[in-house]
Amino acid sequence: MIANSCNLRRDLVTGKGSALPSEREARRGPLVTVLVPTFNRPGYLAQALASVVHQSYRNLQILVVNDGGEDVSGVVRSFNEPRIDFIDRKENRGKPYSLNEALARARGKYVAYLDDDDVYYPHHVELLVETLEKATDCGVAYSDLYKTYCRVLPDGHRQVLSKQVEISRDFDRFLMLYFNHVLHVSLMHRRDLLEKTGRYNEALNILVDWDMTRRLAFFCDFCHVPVMTGEFYSPVGPSDRISFQRRKDSQEYLRNVLTIRTTRPAQPWSKLDDLSVILLVDRLDERLAETMLRIWRYTFYPYKLFLPLSLAEKARLNIQMPNVVHVPVDSQSSPAQRVDMALQQANGGYVAVLPAGFPVEEMWVENPLYALINSRDCEGYFIEAASAQSWAAVLRRCDLRRSRTAHPHLSVEASLAATGIRLRHPREEELPFQFDEILRRAKLAQADGDWMRAARLFEQMAQKHQNELWMRTMSARAYFEGGNHAEAGRLSHDVNQRRPTVDTLLLEAKICRERKDFRAALRLLERAEQCLGGLPAATTRQPDFCST
Amino acid sequence: MDTARTNEIEQHKRTQHYEVLREMGDCYTSVGDYAQAQRCYEKAASLGPDEPGPYVGLGVAALQKDQLDDAEIAFRVACRLDGNCAKAYTGLAMVAQQRRDFQQAFDFYMKSLELDTDNISALLGLFQVSCEMGSFAKVTHYLEVYLEMHPGDTSVMFALAALYLKDGRAAQARNTLLNLLALAPTNQDAANLLEEVEHDLAVAK
Repeated sequence: MIANSCNLRRDLVTGKGSALPSEREARRGPLVTVLVPTFNRPGYLAQALASVVHQSYRNLQILVVNDGGEDVSGVVRSFNEPRIDFIDRKENRGKPYSLNEALARARGKYVAYLDDDDVYYPHHVELLVETLEKATDCGVAYSDLYKTYCRVLPDGHRQVLSKQVEISRDFDRFLMLYFNHVLHVSLMHRRDLLEKTGRYNEALNILVDWDMTRRLAFFCDFCHVPVMTGEFYSPVGPSDRISFQRRKDSQEYLRNVLTIRTTRPAQPWSKLDDLSVILLVDRLDERLAETMLRIWRYTFYPYKLFLPLSLAEKARLNIQMPNVVHVPVDSQSSPAQRVDMALQQANGGYVAVLPAGFPVEEMWVENPLYALINSRDCEGYFIEAASAQSWAAVLRRCDLRRSRTAHPHLSVEASLAATGIRLRHPREEELPFQFDEILRRAKLAQADGDWMRAARLFEQMAQKHQNELWMRTMSARAYFEGGNHAEAGRLSHDVNQRRPTVDTLLLEAKICRERKDFRAALRLLERAEQCLGGLPAATTRQPDFCST
Repeated sequence: MDTARTNEIEQHKRTQHYEVLREMGDCYTSVGDYAQAQRCYEKAASLGPDEPGPYVGLGVAALQKDQLDDAEIAFRVACRLDGNCAKAYTGLAMVAQQRRDFQQAFDFYMKSLELDTDNISALLGLFQVSCEMGSFAKVTHYLEVYLEMHPGDTSVMFALAALYLKDGRAAQARNTLLNLLALAPTNQDAANLLEEVEHDLAVAK
């Protein structure tokens, strides 16, 4: 595979040997559709397209969509490539529209994406197809990409300053609900999943990728293949990226984030259980409005908000918020009766109950919910700040229904106790994002110059948590900065056997040079330079695993 | 919080390619492949136009090929980019030394050592030039300073012992040589010099 990649690169440079493969060869393996939306980057588009056209995997449908930008028909035509399908639109309609337009023409079993200023390495598609064909329980596969910092020269050429692996993260569904951790350009998914997720949301103008990736997480597992298969560019200096400019508007950014977090694809969801939030109201006032808005603002786990209110109360309520279900109740109903009425409509696997005015902050429901999802010995968790006067908890719906059915005349708390359902607060180790908390501490240690502590924390994460290669790379760097070059050398050597990157090759080379092994240092540095010049650093073995 | 270190990490995002090329240049220099070293340093210079490192490297490569004019230009560019670049001054000193302008070489070696007392090339160069000029006072001082930081360096110990002897400080020369031979018992030059020192001491009695 790597040898073929090198031949393709040489052919690209010399212009020779670019004949199309035989029909039989072209048909081997399922069809993959690669979507390339473009807007006003004709120079970079040529590079991006070349990287697709020269993929080792040949059975491709390449859909290029010009979203009302500069004329790029000449660029597309110059490839003389029958696999390219070109949509040349005069009006600018935005990226989600362009992607939907292209998807309407997609025929592949799988879909991949490439932005017009990024590039694939020659084996990107082949690797991901192989993974999806083998790991049939995964609907999405994704690899690792370099973030290429560059200086744009006056002639438009991008001078590479560095290539960094800024993230190499194993799939974490909970994190994906909170924010994106998979680069869209790095992933490939089954096309049929779009029937469940729906198309790209054209109301969004940033974070378009995350919206789709998040929705995919409702229906399938993702397989992470920790191999470098491409790069995306980050010019040093002011960015011309539309998404970058739009993120500066904080209100607009928040609008997009909340739209995404409150998006609920059509059920059933094979990988997520729904959450029903029952908000108990004793009177319509500012507290209720405040609580509802804070739930909207801070909740990232998919939910529906059930509001048991009388018709008269509902008529007076003046808040427009997504995913709210009015539960008609008698105005004299007790809180327990209101919960019972709401339970009749709630169909999610989990229920959160809280009163209006309860302090809702970030992670307010996700902390106890995560503990509940992963618990084997506890049937319910209090929400932080819950007290005897302000009872709030997260439970499995079946447990709450069971206790309410058995003891309908008791309060909710009393019925749970009578049924033998014990609640407690989650312990720290039961909370989500443990990895991120340790990562935060490790980065703080780095910033304080405590490299050895940072190195130990990175190693701890590599051993006990996921993201092993990424953490070992960070650990090697920290050991080097802390002066333990023996350990840095051992770790970087180990990582370079499995997934060499420019940083790890450079690090190991520096240590070889210290030992006066200049020839070994040069071998490593030549590989690093090759990678900086555009070729992937070859691994010594093919990847034969992925982590979900 | 170590802001300086955080800034360095951020800076690395912009200089990684430069670092790779500079390391390559240094390694090629170490194995004697000056043509390749030059190629790497030139690329590094285009990525880091404000960095003196590649120009020092280019100067060293030129020096090895006896291209003294090119070497001088490269070292002077390095000095302009960084007025405190000790290696650049050492380079200029070596160029002057090759041209047998020992006074200028002396001045440049001194400048280098003022900036970096740990610069062994400048130290040994100063010693050589001092031998040519027959003037050792300042050399002795810098050799002593260096030896305090690198007590096991037998080359410097030998040079210092020779200077002590020249300066009529035979007892100090003897002590230095004894320390040297304790570290390197088979060092014949040191043994021969010690014999000469012992003889001088005996005569003086």
